[in-house]
Amino acid sequence: MTLRGRHNSTNTLVETASFLVVRLGASYLALPAAGVRGVLTEARHTQSVTALGDIYHPVDLAQRLSVIADLSGLEMRTVLYSNDHAQGAIRVEQVVGLTDVERKDCFPLPAQFQGDEQHWFMGMMLYQDQLVLILNPAWLLGGLGVGVAASVRQTEQISATPSTVGESC
Amino acid sequence: MLRATRGQQQAQATKRTWNMVLFSVGGIKLAARTEDVGGISPWTRSISVPSRTPFVHAMLKRDHDVIPVYDLATRLSRTLQGDPLLCLVARHLDGPMAICIDAEVPSLETVDVVAIRPSGSEDIETLGMVTIGGEDVAIVALQRLGRSRPDVVKS
Repeated sequence: MTLRGRHNSTNTLVETASFLVVRLGASYLALPAAGVRGVLTEARHTQSVTALGDIYHPVDLAQRLSVIADLSGLEMRTVLYSNDHAQGAIRVEQVVGLTDVERKDCFPLPAQFQGDEQHWFMGMMLYQDQLVLILNPAWLLGGLGVGVAASVRQTEQISATPSTVGESC
Repeated sequence: MLRATRGQQQAQATKRTWNMVLFSVGGIKLAARTEDVGGISPWTRSISVPSRTPFVHAMLKRDHDVIPVYDLATRLSRTLQGDPLLCLVARHLDGPMAICIDAEVPSLETVDVVAIRPSGSEDIETLGMVTIGGEDVAIVALQRLGRSRPDVVKS
């Protein structure tokens, strides 16, 4: 893991949220850091990854976002990510860094974005002068359920998304 | 009470004209009400955003704000002309929205409301058509741009 440094807020009294910032194509994306289980350097193109007894199924984020990405570079990483329901191995072009962001510095996606992206992103923020889109973990891992029970959970997650979209962090 | 009534009458009298910003996109002359325009400035590089919303695929940083970009040129199937291109900020109902326009510096026009006629084209949200300098110009409804596309309404 070659993180470029952690940027902490100096005021510990303010409410902050932690993110892992990654790059995919021209897009900078943030994953809520609580779900990050590890970052792998080796290429695992389509295989699942097993770590500490958990199976992380591959997530083709570039394809799901319709982003053109070059995943053959030296800085390509696989982020192992999980929530309460599923685990995913997400390949990104670059892991940019970890950051703590005050919740007031997270903004909702502008209302002019009216398509599926409302489910993809919980909001946005600025990081090192870059616009960063905050990924919605429920959507990100939503397609990874196995079996009937998992499918029901997935449906519940997706249907619950709109009410959480306003909460940018 | 009487003064207020007179004031209202005067206000109605002054509303017989609309102040317009005349600009162009890909060589097509367009107009917008001045109150629907938040400003015009040089265009700066936009930031691509993954999106399935038609013609909304980028954002623009302006000072401390980030605003969505509406790709009006693509919607009109035109290629922007000139250099440097300009940014028109629309006062959209959903919040400010940037539109990249041709390099030709916009001008101000005052239009008699009675000269405005319904638009025959449904290509774009308009407030009507008006003839300026012998040329028919659509008055773009910037406040609701992108809100009433047929493919959005019907879906």
